[in-house]
Amino acid sequence: MKKRDDKNILRKIMAIRGMGQVITVAFGLVVLCIVFGILNPVFFSNRNIANLLRQIAPILIIGIGQSYVLITGNIDLSIGSVVGMSCMVSATMMTKGVNPWVAVLITYICCLAIGIINGQLVANCKLPPFIATLGTMTIARGIAQIVNNNYNTDSIGAAAKGFRDFFYYGKNFGVFNTIWIAAVLWIIFNFILNKTRTGRYIYAIGSNIEAARLSGVNIAHITTTAYVVSSFCSCTVGLITCAISGMGTMDAGNGYEMYAVAASVIGGVSTLGGQGILLGTVIGASIWGVLQNGLQFAGAPVAIRNIAIGVIVVVSVLLDVIIRKGRPIRKKKNITTVNKAEIKA
Amino acid sequence: MQEYIVEMEHINKTFPGVKALDDVSFNLKSGEVHALLGENGAGKSTLMKVLSGVYTADSGEIKIFGDTVTELTPKKAQQLGVAIIHQELNLCPHLSVAENIFLGREITKMGILSSKEMSKEAKCILDKLNIDISPDEIVGNLPVSKQQLVEIAKALSTNSRILIMDEPTSALSEKEIDDLFKIIRKLKGEGCGIIYISHRLEELQHIVDRVTIMRDGRYITTMNYAETTLQEIISNMVGREIKQKFPRVNVKRGGKIFEVKNLNAGRLVRNINFELYEGEILGIAGLMGAGRTETTRAIFGAEPKESGEIILDGKSVTINKPIDAINAGIVLVPEDRKRDGLCTKLSVRENIALPNLDFLSKSCGIVDENEEKAIANKMVKDLKIKLPDIDVVTDSLSGGNQQKVVVSKWLARNSRVVIFDEPTRGIDVAAKVEIYNLMNDLKKQGIGVIFVSSEMPEILGMSDRILVMCNGRITGELDIEHATQNMIMEYATKFEK
Repeated sequence: MKKRDDKNILRKIMAIRGMGQVITVAFGLVVLCIVFGILNPVFFSNRNIANLLRQIAPILIIGIGQSYVLITGNIDLSIGSVVGMSCMVSATMMTKGVNPWVAVLITYICCLAIGIINGQLVANCKLPPFIATLGTMTIARGIAQIVNNNYNTDSIGAAAKGFRDFFYYGKNFGVFNTIWIAAVLWIIFNFILNKTRTGRYIYAIGSNIEAARLSGVNIAHITTTAYVVSSFCSCTVGLITCAISGMGTMDAGNGYEMYAVAASVIGGVSTLGGQGILLGTVIGASIWGVLQNGLQFAGAPVAIRNIAIGVIVVVSVLLDVIIRKGRPIRKKKNITTVNKAEIKA
Repeated sequence: MQEYIVEMEHINKTFPGVKALDDVSFNLKSGEVHALLGENGAGKSTLMKVLSGVYTADSGEIKIFGDTVTELTPKKAQQLGVAIIHQELNLCPHLSVAENIFLGREITKMGILSSKEMSKEAKCILDKLNIDISPDEIVGNLPVSKQQLVEIAKALSTNSRILIMDEPTSALSEKEIDDLFKIIRKLKGEGCGIIYISHRLEELQHIVDRVTIMRDGRYITTMNYAETTLQEIISNMVGREIKQKFPRVNVKRGGKIFEVKNLNAGRLVRNINFELYEGEILGIAGLMGAGRTETTRAIFGAEPKESGEIILDGKSVTINKPIDAINAGIVLVPEDRKRDGLCTKLSVRENIALPNLDFLSKSCGIVDENEEKAIANKMVKDLKIKLPDIDVVTDSLSGGNQQKVVVSKWLARNSRVVIFDEPTRGIDVAAKVEIYNLMNDLKKQGIGVIFVSSEMPEILGMSDRILVMCNGRITGELDIEHATQNMIMEYATKFEK
């Protein structure tokens, strides 16, 4: 009797759309871990695992944001610059003596503004998302540079200890806070994506924007929401970065938009929109982290790590496109049904 | 005796499930304009695609300039001198006239384009046709009529002797049509053969020598234009018997529920006025490009309106976006289910729920999954949608079942007016009957039904009243007792100035 229940639960899990792909990738992750574990016994030490998780957490957070945007069928290239902007804006204020928590609040407001601009440019002004967010990417980086007159900031000082503990150094129940932040954000955004109207609309406009519009979905509103979520995530990661180093660095978050795409796409989020689950993003971010960590142990230089990540992203997208290439055959069928219709008419 | 430059004998072409061309024969003499007529989907385009090599016929013989041709490809057809001038023009708008004419076979000297020479050549071709266009003009800056002439020049520059013109006058003004006819007459004088496809029957008298009429993929007749009348042509076009039985129900017509006043939106929605009563199905008939879909989309708020008033239950409603219409109680089942109706990557349940999440979610925005499942299951049962369970992705369903999903997402909410745009396109007979029954149910419930269709039998079989549209205007209104296919056709080809 109990066995049958187990089976049902398993079947239910497998019925979730995109789960098959996630399980495949998770299998890859396990293989990767085993390989690195054999190459280097220290890989599975408690210390390294804690480190690894702290490395993965920020990538998971921006990955969540990028996944939201990708599922709507768009892309956010401004992520890395918003991370830098968040880092610099918060650090500058803290060095000027602003209360850290006030600084955090103001930083969030600034970063969310970028998200709103992104959403409006894409949904209302109909700019291609690539160009629109490429523009805001440059703007945000410019802001990161200008807030402290083109210098990295000094140390944010002792007053910010609480801030630094909250975002990076502190622990709760034996787990580092960064990991808690990532976990809580994941739970919240996963809930929104799966259980709310907003989440449903995000999938709908990514799948077929015209059908969604004709079903009464406010496209501009939902697209903007996705971009704001992305900016919120980037801002959080910027604050974590600031907490790690205890200062603001102008090129913080450089290239993070690519890491966010990597986490999403490796985890099965389609760059064409409408498909993907946040569980996949967890696996995608983990693969990114394990590769970085493992290759570092193996003595590979940064350049090699970059190449590895780049290759994996391109291969993932290629697989995504190839899997969908099976579709044109089906599409052809549809063309003939249309013809049939014309002929019948 | 003129020679035949095209002879097509006993052409058959079958698409999966449908006989598109059934033993069709057609010929064309040099120096004649031969009109090919028929309703939407009579097989005209398919026949022309066979002639131009796009489709391969299953059987039959094609002779071009007296020689039997086998294995015709688009390229081969072009080499043999067959050129199609499409309704939608195939020009690069950012390039010049000369560049377009020589696209793909540019004149080069040692690999470098010799623009001057091309320009000169183009000028020659244009002059020969008495077309007054500079070869250096950018095509996108020309009016549509001139672009069409460029297309003709392009076709002739490759020495095409057989021109297929598909609805060449649909976007032209009176004067431009005259100019086009002058050029057609000139080409005729030079011995070109022209196959002319048009819905504008009146204009045929100016140029046409012979007409061939097709219906339902079959050849009906060929006549000398001088020896026939418009009436005869129309009855040949529509002269099919209606064998199919339609499940019509009679309901007493109630009060007025819906009214459209002076609606204008673009070229294909001009001054539309109509009323809709409780307990009736209002059919909207017309040929392709008559503006029926555009009208329904403008009513629904999918396209912007220029002017006009929409009145529901005696009250004027403002509809700027689809959501306004949905909230007011007007819904549209769109024509193209793949493009406008379905999120194909989402499940049946999610698609049915999509426009109804307003009442399917709790106040905090969380979707009530039990309600959602209940409504999806109910619709699947009511509409007899065949599927393993409601969580399958809609992409995997057959056309008929997909169509039912699109219909059901709109029936899941209480509406006052339901607009069906070609709801039976591309689905099998059994599914069609179910859709008809559904419309009848709505009618019995007192919901206003607007039914747009290109299939005359079903329009005549299901509607209580029929509006006929042509060129963006309502050209006729018919009571079902008096309506005939001929009358619909007459109104549908009544191009007003």
